[in-house]
Amino acid sequence: MSLTASTEHTVLWPLTGGIHPPEMKLLSNTTPIQRLLPANEYFLPLPQVGETAVLAIKQGQRVLKGQPLTRGISAMYLAVHAPTSGTIAAIEPRPSNHPSALPVLTCVLQSDGLDEAVSFTAASEPLSHEQILQRIRDAGIAGMGGAMFPSHIKLNPASKIKRLIINGVECEPYITADDRLMREYASDILNGVALMQQLLQPETTTIAIEDNKPEAAQAMRQALAASTLPQCSIQVIPTKYPSGGEKQLIQILTGQEVPSGAIPAHLGIVVQNVGTAFAIQQAVYQGVPLLERVITVTGSNIEKPGNYWVSVGTPIRHILEQTGFKATPDSKVIVGGPMMGYTLSTVDVPVLKGSNCLLLPQAQELADAPQERSCIRCGECAQVCPVSLLPQQLYWHAKAAEYDKAENFHLQDCIECGCCSYVCPSDIPLVQYYRVAKAAIRKTREEKLHAEHAKMRFEARSLRMEQEKLEREAKAREAAEKRKSAMSGNEKDAVAAALARVKAKQAAQGAVEESPAPTTADSKATIAAAVSGIKAQNQETSGSNVTNQEDKKAAIAAAIARAKAKKIAATPTLTETLTASAPAQAADKKAKVAAAIASAKAKRTQAADTPNTEAQLSAPNATDKQAMIAAAVAKAKARKAAVENTSAEVDNAAVTVEASSAPTTLTESTTDAAQKARIAAAVAKAKAKKASSATATEAPEKTTAASTIAAAAKQHTEGNMPETVNTDGDTHASVSLSDDKKARVVAAVAKAKQKARERAREQENN
Amino acid sequence: MLIAVVLLTLLALVFGVVLGFAAEKFKVEGNPIVDQIEALLPQTQCGQCGYPGCRPYAEAIANGEKINRCPPGGSATMEKLADLMGVEPEPLTATAETQVRKVAFIREEECIGCTKCIQACPVDAIVGAGKLMHTVLASACTGCDLCVEPCPVDCIEMLPVKQDLRTWDWQLNAIPVKTL
Repeated sequence: MSLTASTEHTVLWPLTGGIHPPEMKLLSNTTPIQRLLPANEYFLPLPQVGETAVLAIKQGQRVLKGQPLTRGISAMYLAVHAPTSGTIAAIEPRPSNHPSALPVLTCVLQSDGLDEAVSFTAASEPLSHEQILQRIRDAGIAGMGGAMFPSHIKLNPASKIKRLIINGVECEPYITADDRLMREYASDILNGVALMQQLLQPETTTIAIEDNKPEAAQAMRQALAASTLPQCSIQVIPTKYPSGGEKQLIQILTGQEVPSGAIPAHLGIVVQNVGTAFAIQQAVYQGVPLLERVITVTGSNIEKPGNYWVSVGTPIRHILEQTGFKATPDSKVIVGGPMMGYTLSTVDVPVLKGSNCLLLPQAQELADAPQERSCIRCGECAQVCPVSLLPQQLYWHAKAAEYDKAENFHLQDCIECGCCSYVCPSDIPLVQYYRVAKAAIRKTREEKLHAEHAKMRFEARSLRMEQEKLEREAKAREAAEKRKSAMSGNEKDAVAAALARVKAKQAAQGAVEESPAPTTADSKATIAAAVSGIKAQNQETSGSNVTNQEDKKAAIAAAIARAKAKKIAATPTLTETLTASAPAQAADKKAKVAAAIASAKAKRTQAADTPNTEAQLSAPNATDKQAMIAAAVAKAKARKAAVENTSAEVDNAAVTVEASSAPTTLTESTTDAAQKARIAAAVAKAKAKKASSATATEAPEKTTAASTIAAAAKQHTEGNMPETVNTDGDTHASVSLSDDKKARVVAAVAKAKQKARERAREQENN
Repeated sequence: MLIAVVLLTLLALVFGVVLGFAAEKFKVEGNPIVDQIEALLPQTQCGQCGYPGCRPYAEAIANGEKINRCPPGGSATMEKLADLMGVEPEPLTATAETQVRKVAFIREEECIGCTKCIQACPVDAIVGAGKLMHTVLASACTGCDLCVEPCPVDCIEMLPVKQDLRTWDWQLNAIPVKTL
């Protein structure tokens, strides 16, 4: 330490205002710092510093001394460490160490008495800035002077720091924790200061100590002389309350005032407490987190006043028991000093990182404030205010709840030191008024912010709803247009279909005049019926020829004719249909197939109690496997065919009619015909199925019929089919698509009858 | 005489032109008093005043509506409105009970995920999706009560906001005192 450095800072500026209350420090600063017996239970409020944290432990879990109980990521976050080993008995709301004693979430740690610690890793090699800061943060170090501001933030300022001030002023009466710490751990404190210097790189460092602590100043001087700290000096300042306040100390040492709303770092100054310096040294060099602190337990209501190492989280009740607290109904427990401390409403609250004093005064020592009287406007309060406010004006406005006016008198700059209340001849608890006013102002401000936020959200929502509405409308319009265009297209189709139907009808009537006009409402069904009627008649006239020429063709034709007949039967007007005489003895398989189809049809016609057809058929007994496969194929085809639109069907019907008028001439293209035949077969199969479901007794028979029909269809597809057959198939398709349920029932009945007849005949033959 | 007439006519013309120009140039859009009134309203958008939001009520006040229709604002807001509008303060239409700040809370095990409350919330303070649990963003909730009615399973309740250490208002007489 150079001589120039010491003289440089001997110039001191006076503190505005301030008072000289009785110091009462001798009560506790004569004995060294002692240790108390460990407590059985510790209360660890979560989180202590920083808004958010995540619990890292569970209830019932065993924790070791120094183990962090929380995790967090926010910049302000500081871990809460277990002060000793034990189990977490509970995590629940407990009263807080706060004037309100409002319950906060607290970890209750049940000590196991072993005091087993996690291994603390001492720094072996020189650490980088980041490592030091990380260690300070991990150790959970907060300002030990009482404000509990995270030190790692203060030690990592954005701006250049010119001056580091170590606050060992301890201006409040009664408190001697820093005094004793400086006396006993001066070199450790200086080690901490060295770390801060390394982090901040200040031009000068000042350790400020009030002149009522000469022993502490002496100890620090000696330690400083022994150390190699650059540009560091001890500054003894006159005793005056509240010179230990951060901004007040800066004013005393530099003559600069920290502007309203600013922080010392804006002036290039950082102020740290000596207790913080000690904790930083421990955290960085030994890796020990902030587990305990020195607390002054003092007052005349206690047997053993003095300073004690107390674990953070120790219940105040435990400390009082250990130090011989004489509880009386009117005795008070004050946390902090007599000027700025607060009275606890319950002693089952923990010691926090910033708790530096427990004051237990006797009633006559620190009397309850007498009844408040009217302000006499003496102006004493304005004389002592260290922040140069007008406490009187603030009082009026706070009392009248004119908080905006109080704000205009810079209420927010009040440090709540209590000087004004101390000097007030009317015993007005001025600070209490200011605190209420400050809380109200803060609430109003938050409400305003909340309202603005709500308004923003409401407007954003309104905008969004508006947009969504517009989008919906646009979409609806688009859909409507699409529908409109689609509808006009459909109409065209419908017109075309109607035209086709009319044509078909005309053709049918022109071709066969003797066919009775169907009266069913369903035009398609009618057409189909008419067509089938024509077929049947044609078949009748040329049936014998066909059979003579080719058994096969005849059989198929007969079957189809029967199908037609059935349809006609389904219509209310009874048409006379053919009696297709299929060759009963025909060994030809195809003939059998045809017969099967016919029987299916016949069954249906009979179901309607109007047995128009007399089909003489021999039902095939043997089921062909191939036929079954074919049936499956046919079914698939039928499905495809069903997709075809109605106009196509009508066209088909028209074609059929033409073809049927000239049954023997091969006019149509074979490929087209083959496809149609397939469809016809599938339809036949479907019908057969339906029929089978209608009459359960014929179930075995049905499958056979179906398969045989399918087989027939397969043969159709082979292409060597006469035109008549193909055209018949067409009709089938159209008919089937406009299927009538009644017709099916009729068919089922008819088939049943037919079957019975066949059996009888077979027996005769045999 | 003639000079005076001419002069006055000229003056009248000049000022007329100036005033006409000013009326166009510095025209105020909307009624500025509405903005002032709206700034005083609590923006809960609750509709308890009978208007669909705070802005419509502000407009109504500007057009002569009573100033005591805002329960969330309480008597403080009413008094400010009385000051602003130059009318006599009137007792609020609501009881004191409705003036406590509340926040909606969804009992999540009962929520069926119908999204009805989400649609009702004027400030989008409820998050959730169809057939999934919903929850209220307490920091954004204005306590307007509008989500309670649409809930088909009545799983939404309005909880008064509790004081914590940060929001404590230093009402020392409210602290329960225990004997040591």
